Amino acid sequence: MHKASSLSELGFNAGTASSGFFRPVADDSPPTPSAAHRRLTKVSVIGAGNVGMAIAQTILTQNLADEIALVDALPDKLRGEALDLQHAAAFLPRVRIVSDTDAAVTRNSDLVVITAGARQIPGETRLNLLQRNVALYRKIVPPVAEHSPEALLLVVSNPVDVLTYVAWKLSGFPASRVIGSGTNLDSSRFRFLIAEHLDVNAQDVQAYMVGEHGDSSVAIWSSISVGGMPAFKSLRDSHLNFDEEALEGIRRAVVGGAYEVIGLKGYTSWAIGYSVASLAASLLRDQRRVHPVSVLASGFHGISDGHDVFLSLPARLGRAGILGVAEMDLTEAEAAQLRRSAKTLWENCQLLGL
Amino acid sequence: MMSMKKEASSLSELGFDVNFGAGFFRQVPSSVCDNGEGTQRQRRPTKVSVIGAGDVGMAIAQTILTQGLADEIALVDADAGRVRGEMLDLQHAAAFLPRVRIVAGTDVLALTRGSDLAIVTLPGARPVGHRGVELLRKNVAVLREVVPAVAEGSPESLLLVVSNPVDVLAYAAWKLSGFPASRVIGSGTNLDSSRLRRLLADHLGVGAQDVHAYMVGEHGGSAVALWSSISVGGMPVLSYLQKTHASFDGEALEGIRRAVVGGACEVIGLKGYASWAIGYSVASLARSLLRDQRRVHPVSVLAKGFIPGDDHQVFLSLPARLGRGGVLGVAAELELTADEESTLRRSAETLWEHCQALGI
Repeated sequence: MHKASSLSELGFNAGTASSGFFRPVADDSPPTPSAAHRRLTKVSVIGAGNVGMAIAQTILTQNLADEIALVDALPDKLRGEALDLQHAAAFLPRVRIVSDTDAAVTRNSDLVVITAGARQIPGETRLNLLQRNVALYRKIVPPVAEHSPEALLLVVSNPVDVLTYVAWKLSGFPASRVIGSGTNLDSSRFRFLIAEHLDVNAQDVQAYMVGEHGDSSVAIWSSISVGGMPAFKSLRDSHLNFDEEALEGIRRAVVGGAYEVIGLKGYTSWAIGYSVASLAASLLRDQRRVHPVSVLASGFHGISDGHDVFLSLPARLGRAGILGVAEMDLTEAEAAQLRRSAKTLWENCQLLGL
Repeated sequence: MMSMKKEASSLSELGFDVNFGAGFFRQVPSSVCDNGEGTQRQRRPTKVSVIGAGDVGMAIAQTILTQGLADEIALVDADAGRVRGEMLDLQHAAAFLPRVRIVAGTDVLALTRGSDLAIVTLPGARPVGHRGVELLRKNVAVLREVVPAVAEGSPESLLLVVSNPVDVLAYAAWKLSGFPASRVIGSGTNLDSSRLRRLLADHLGVGAQDVHAYMVGEHGGSAVALWSSISVGGMPVLSYLQKTHASFDGEALEGIRRAVVGGACEVIGLKGYASWAIGYSVASLARSLLRDQRRVHPVSVLAKGFIPGDDHQVFLSLPARLGRGGVLGVAAELELTADEESTLRRSAETLWEHCQALGI
């Protein structure tokens, strides 16, 4: 049921410059070559599932790109999603939306967001799932890197820290241009819980979750600051029966947040969409904002220089990618947790043969 | 499999004193200059309720949230678990958005109370044949439950219906709400018009926002494109289209019209449902209404008296000026061809039959 998607398919001639609906000004000099124009901003999203489309749609609504390319293995789903965005043309600034199962459509991207990932088969081991994802990335990443050798790569698929490492290895890009969405969203959930409790705007709560995205993420209590005040001591004093368990309860509520949404609606989409759009804005608009994202962490907090692991640390993001990573003051326990995660991640990465 | 236990959703549930905030930030001392007038009457926050948290409802809610159109959003759905999940998924983005209060549940009256705008989305894609009659009956039954509750809790609200067949359902919602017709709108041909404008815009190499074109009438296969009034850059487009066609005739325009009205079906056929475009379309209507923009949109309104030769009390799409008070006015000086007029009259007849059969 392929419907006509242009007037030329329906027999109408696209007008030439001289006989068209709009005519160029009389001008003796040749037109400025298009190479002289500053290129338009192009974002590609690999994977047109719930996560990929929430990201693409939020980026579109927030007007962060002039061109959006969608790639997926399922051609009908892909075309349907692209059309669904294109149909909104009258309600948005003009954005070119293209899609194809072939990664060539991502050529000349400024930012490529990778959400593609294999779904866990019941009973499948984590390692097996990981190996299937590596196989998928072997198909996706090298062509993407070839078509956009200067692009920033933003990995969202899980397990994000390992897959960011995989994308880095397969792309051949400098580590400053390969980022994982990491604990950016976990930190938002963390800030939301604290903000509700303090009745302040979540944007005024500074609080970081770092480390391995997922069950072993680390909440940096000392980093919580609101209105210029460190909040940890006051939070502690406000607890009826404060102990380690109270803090662990908060951390678990944050980590469990994603599972709860998945249990209720089947998947998460909106929050990760906003999270990634926020990263995209900082990167594409050179905002120099600090986000906790998955970066090459070797050499930080006692993680061995030779262990090329990615995990989340607060990082300054801009047009060139990761401009710098915060040297946080961690407690010995927090640093030890990071090192433990790094060890496990390194062991996993070594099994992948990259 | 991860257990589906309910996670703590607040620090007070985890044992932290709920009055903590009172100490962390302290209020300024009461001023001796307090003139005793009491608290100023604060402007109420803008509240939008979305009834139906499916793909369409959530695309609408999320777009409204991203565009900063509401201070409070209520999500209502019969599926308590799903709507709670959707609420959490939006709340988790708190660090990336201005502060918006988001509530969710199954109780229409309690959740939607005090809405400025209530948007109703109901199950089902475009109805086909007799399946359409079944769907209509089911959806009217849902409206009978939902609309009176909305009207009771938000007697001043604007009501926007986004389900198909939208013209009949907008009529039903109007009757069931007891609201003046100026406060009840169906999303109508607003999105079809966007599709038409995009097709023409791509052809002419302009932005779609500069293509002034309206699809009107009965939303669906019989929608009418007002060809003679399409203009771009102050120029009428129709004669240009005629000149540039390989072998122009009525069929050429009909080809465009069919491509437009078939757009939703095509998306549904490819991805299983349509969501993003209707989300943007409705957010655009929400903005014009809530921010009193006085913009003209083709939406389903009470069309009685606007179609020459027709006097039926039916809803169908006409260009309408929208603002905080709802439908501020409907285009009264449209120049319709004889064919366009007769199509609209026919649509009005058919719609009237459907409306009468509802027994409302």
